[in-house]
This record gives sequence, structure tokens and C-alpha cells, in this order.
Amino acid sequence: MSTSENIRPVEQVTVAPLANIVERQQVWSRMAAKYGVENPVPPWKSSLDGICDALDHGGCGPEILSFVDRRNEEDTLSATVYSTLPYPENQLVSLAHSLVARGVIDETELQHRLAGIRSRLQAG
Amino acid sequence: MSEHDHDRTVAPMVDEITDFEVLEIALRELCIEKGLFTVEDHRRFTEFAEHIGPTPAAHMVARAWLDPEFKKLVLADAIAASREVGVDWLEPTGFGTPSDFTALHVLEDTPTLHHVIVCALCSCYPRPILGNSPEWYRTPNYRRRLVRWPRQVLAEFGLYLPEDVAIRVEDSNQKHRFMVMPVRPEGTEDWDEDQLAAILTRDCLIGVALPKVGVTTNAITDTRPAIHPVQH
Repeated sequence: MSTSENIRPVEQVTVAPLANIVERQQVWSRMAAKYGVENPVPPWKSSLDGICDALDHGGCGPEILSFVDRRNEEDTLSATVYSTLPYPENQLVSLAHSLVARGVIDETELQHRLAGIRSRLQAG
Repeated sequence: MSEHDHDRTVAPMVDEITDFEVLEIALRELCIEKGLFTVEDHRRFTEFAEHIGPTPAAHMVARAWLDPEFKKLVLADAIAASREVGVDWLEPTGFGTPSDFTALHVLEDTPTLHHVIVCALCSCYPRPILGNSPEWYRTPNYRRRLVRWPRQVLAEFGLYLPEDVAIRVEDSNQKHRFMVMPVRPEGTEDWDEDQLAAILTRDCLIGVALPKVGVTTNAITDTRPAIHPVQH
């Protein structure tokens, strides 16, 4: 990624697959109410915590997205692009946004992966 | 056992694949494939996130209220005192020293001094002993406003402190984490450690509430969007 791209504010980067997810609003509070589930947080929350900690401490994660940058961008994105999402959905989507904005994950690659995982989870 | 027994005993689940569930898996897989972390890292940190909670911190304070010698240890060397309640800050995840290793300080309240913790920069929190931070603790709104208007922010949690009680806001950072030792409330004179620990809620140990006989749950607090002081 070039220097000029790095200077572009993260909230001005658009990530189409994430915008689609926001639009569908399958947030935990709504889904839990629909199915009569009482857990206050979604089942993927602890795994997201694991991703954040692993990024902060493991392998080359910290070089690519430091803890402070990750949290700052999460705050910025949660107040702007993803302001309609509650926590921890906004944390998850912001993290994906930060990784796409840095070029770590390609937008098309993410789109394909989302489709692949959905079909895997819905099979049988 | 009838084949329908499970219909009555199993809690309901969300019977639909949500976009967020799919996104979490996608992110995790892509990060692992690109070498940002390993499957093993992720598994261990996820287990850590699942087992931590505020119970050890509550017992540490409860025991300190009951035992003056232990209280001295808590205030002098909170890392050593943490071990007495089952938390090893050197290896809280059980597999090495994470960045959560810090100097832990326990801040003792008095009748005229109240402490409350924050992380103005991000969301540093004494996770090994107090669990994951609540949502509101992470918000820019709490972080920015607590340091400027502590009395007002505490009042929003339902904690109205008299003017003669000074408030000290302690700002956490990457190396220093804090938790609060509130004043033991009246009416608990003959209580044991478990009874005392039950009223030492997470909010009391952060400093946004005071322990009270009969109160064992945290306040439910609406989070507010951040208002940037420069723009307003």
C-alpha cells in the first residue's frame, strides 16, 4: 500500500461486503429477540476477543495493525461508518474494515470467503 | 427418557446463520492463513477470554476487608496478592506473558476520597483479575468525559458523591492497571468473605458504584455516542 493511501482517513475507505452486512442488520439483539434467546452477547464474541488478543500478541499481527491503531480506528469507525451497529458488532466490522483498508485482506477475497463460509455453514 | 425431553430442557438458540457469525469466521481464517497469528494463539486467547471474570478481584478486596495483613499485601504488592486469589499476572493465559502483564495497583478509598478507573487512550483494564471490560468502559464518551467531569459521569451511573468526598480518576496505561478497594459498607460487620465478595460488583471495583448491602448486580448503563469537544 502506498504512503498516499495510508494517509487517507480510514473512515473514507469503503468496503462493499461490510456495507452489505450493515444493511442486513442481523445484530445480536434483534436475532436473540427473534428466537427468544437470552444470552446478552453473541456466541462469536469470545472468539472475536481471541482474534484481537492474538493480533496484538501473536506472529506479525502487531506490525500490521498495532493495538493502539486498532482501538483508535474502532472508535472512529464505530462513530461514523458503523454508527448504526451496536457493540460488539461494531468492533468486529471495524476490525475487518481496518484490515481491508491496510490491504491485508482484499475486498474481493473477503467477499468470496464470506460466501464460501455461508454455504459451508448452511450445507446439510 | 422420552425422545422429546430435549425440547423442554435445551435453551433456545438462534437458528439462523448471521452475517456477523460468518464474518468472524472469515476474519479468523484469513488472519491465520496470512500468518498474522496461529490457530493455537487464537484458541488459547479465546479460552482466556471465556474464563476470566470479576470474581477473583471481589475476593481479593473482601479478604482484605477481613484480614489486615492481607490488606497490607494488597496495597503493597497487588501482583502477589492476586496469586492468593488464583490469578498469576505473569501468566494469566497460562502460556506466557501477554501485554496484560503490568504493574497492578489497588486504590484504597477512604470516607473522604473516592477512586475511579479509566483508560483515556483506549480500553486498558485489569482483565486477568476483573474480566473483560464492560461496553461503556470502552466508549470514547466515558473515557473523555470521566477525566473532565468525574462527578457528573458518576452521577450518570447513579453514584452521587457528597462534595466533601474528593474524586481521583486513575488513568490506566499499557503498563499500569488499577482497581478500586471501596470502603466496607455498614451492615456487613459479621459477614464472611463470600458474602462480602457478592456485593463487590464489577462496577464497585471500577469505582462507578459503591458496595451496598443487598446489591449484587451492576448498573445497566446506556452508552452514548461520543461528542468531540473540539467540534462542540
